[in-house]
Amino acid sequence: MAPVKSGRRSAAYIRSRVGYWPYLVPGVLLFIAVIVVPFAMNLYFSFTSWRGIGEPEWIGLENYLELASDSTFWISFRNSIAMVVAIVVIPTAIGLLLAATFFDFIGRRFGPRVASVLRALYYLPQVVPVVAAGLLWTWILQPQTGGLNTVLRAVGLDSLALNWLGDPETALPTVMSVLVWFQIGYPIVVFMAALERVDPELYEAAEMDGAPWFTRMRAITIPQIRPEIFVVTLTGTISALQVFAPIYVLTGGGPENSTNVPSYFSYTSFFTRAQVGYGAAIATVLALVVLLVALVMIRFQARSEKEDSEL
Amino acid sequence: MHKKTIMRAIGLTVAATLTVGITACSSGGDESTTFKIWHYEDPTSAMGIAWNQAIEVFEEEHPDVTVEFQSKAFDQIQQSAGMILNSDAVPDVMEYNKGNATAGLLASQGLLTDLSDAAEERGWDDMLPTSIQTTAKYDEQGVMGSGGWYGVPTYGAFATMFYNKDMFADLGLSVPTTLDELEDVMDAFVADGTTPLATGGADYPAGQLFYELALQKADRQFVNDYQLYENPVDFHGEELQFGADTFDEWVKKGYISGDAASLSAEDMGTAWEAGTYPMMFTVSAWYGRVTNEVTDFDWGIFNFPGNSLSAGSSGNLWVIPTNAANKDLAEDFIDITLRPEQQELMGNSGGLPVIEGVEISDERSKELNDAFAEYLESDGLAFYPDWPVPGYFEDLVAAFQSLINQSKSPDAVLDELAASYEDGVATVTGN
Repeated sequence: MAPVKSGRRSAAYIRSRVGYWPYLVPGVLLFIAVIVVPFAMNLYFSFTSWRGIGEPEWIGLENYLELASDSTFWISFRNSIAMVVAIVVIPTAIGLLLAATFFDFIGRRFGPRVASVLRALYYLPQVVPVVAAGLLWTWILQPQTGGLNTVLRAVGLDSLALNWLGDPETALPTVMSVLVWFQIGYPIVVFMAALERVDPELYEAAEMDGAPWFTRMRAITIPQIRPEIFVVTLTGTISALQVFAPIYVLTGGGPENSTNVPSYFSYTSFFTRAQVGYGAAIATVLALVVLLVALVMIRFQARSEKEDSEL
Repeated sequence: MHKKTIMRAIGLTVAATLTVGITACSSGGDESTTFKIWHYEDPTSAMGIAWNQAIEVFEEEHPDVTVEFQSKAFDQIQQSAGMILNSDAVPDVMEYNKGNATAGLLASQGLLTDLSDAAEERGWDDMLPTSIQTTAKYDEQGVMGSGGWYGVPTYGAFATMFYNKDMFADLGLSVPTTLDELEDVMDAFVADGTTPLATGGADYPAGQLFYELALQKADRQFVNDYQLYENPVDFHGEELQFGADTFDEWVKKGYISGDAASLSAEDMGTAWEAGTYPMMFTVSAWYGRVTNEVTDFDWGIFNFPGNSLSAGSSGNLWVIPTNAANKDLAEDFIDITLRPEQQELMGNSGGLPVIEGVEISDERSKELNDAFAEYLESDGLAFYPDWPVPGYFEDLVAAFQSLINQSKSPDAVLDELAASYEDGVATVTGN
């Protein structure tokens, strides 16, 4: 009996020591293969001069020093701020208003089905492939034969029929507008789900006290769904900093670099200019910026949640 | 998202390479020889048609060989050729882009077979005109024009002016033979309320027009300096200054639409085909499409007035990877594509054959081939403006968007182009 008993004990012992670690192995391996190794390779390339084939030549920090004085690099990061406005600030603000309107007003007056249909319609641009929707927008915005200018000219607004994506003055605002269209459904869906969670008694009490709609929004809705607002802002900011496909399809970073963004700049350096090291350096800087912004935002969220719980 | 894209690109390439590798391994046990051809021409294009016939001829002449043809995407080869050719999963013969940044780069890394002996033995060096041969040869740094043969061109391409004969006739205009006459013609259209020249500022047409204008003042030495780095290029010298100044003037005079900055080459072509503009200066590759698509007006082409040099070159090359298994067969295949029968079929299908004495019977194809012959006979092909430096395409696009939008002066544009040219040349030559 004794050996069997001791065997059982050792199996249990091993299990207790090893715990659930083996179950993490596939995930860890994937993480290493998909994240760690490419990141390390990218970091290494960023310290080299390399044309994509042959031997990379180690040049230390030279790529980074060159970046610091490259105006395109600074323009691309300045445009990143515009992307944050178009992907985070505007859609979150409008999304909040629309979600509250659908939920409070449309949902109550016309029934939840109408609100769901509207929500789905606003979410549609998120489902359509970016490239397909982007190409449609380039047709609509084509200056000579595009839909928008044709309509404007037909109603006599010729002076408003601008060269939307071709003029450096209008290209960035135009791209931003298209991005708002792309993005708007995401906050609406998240916020409408969040509103389901808010205790209706809070609103009823406020209504009885005579609080107008906007005050209820400010005093109840926003504080109650704050975690969702954080999530939307954080994920939106990260995707804004990394935005690539819409730029690729709409403008190719032009005209005259006016809509270039870091990811597109990195791509052109890497692939079309065959300056792999330089492209890798841009990618590394971008990754660090994203990481930093995400960390700051998460810290901010944690602190504000802590303050809330202390209240 | 950019990292994802790059990762995805790398991932796809690795996956593709692995897949090809597995296929290669599994077919390795076969007794008979498998001959692998890769190219990226549309099967309905002149090249696609002629090369299909070449494959048939090859199969007849090598009954014991199994031909395995794979149609590739241009981007697929463009972005991953280096990695594929570094592996064992290489084809025996492959179509590849000519130029320093592409075939030159691969040749300088030892990934392509030196075909100099074959060129001599099989007479390719006598068969092909000089400016067509330029793109076949690359030196140790991968700069075209001298050194060994690393690719074999089998067709040509050039830029020319497409014009709407009906619109010319309406205003009683005839084909211009000098730059002044061309400007008179364009003035007549402007006076009539028509923008005369279709262009696409977000694509290659604007840069090509600039280069063609610069070539008005250029000689072969300028081309060699600009394309082959024989001497430093003065961007404020007579040639490029004239190109930029004239381009700027043409925008100011309304010859080119101020809206053109965001237009693609596709926009340019479809607008011209719709009869919006009387003229379009672009590459001969449009010829076949225009032939098929334009039915409601009469049209023709004329070479840019007054130019003895023009944007143009050989087409893409046949290359034989260093790791290819059947190099002799690959040379046989290339030789077949250069035979009169295949060249003639290509010519009559709207392509531009490059060997001498090809008879073209198709009337439309003959018009194009005659225009091409003007440059071919006088060694007038000056290559394309974006060739010298990797990524120069984007720089030219941005530069001429500025002139179309009138947001910068020609001098400022030339300064920018000079800076990235010098940067790029330093990268290519390693100085």
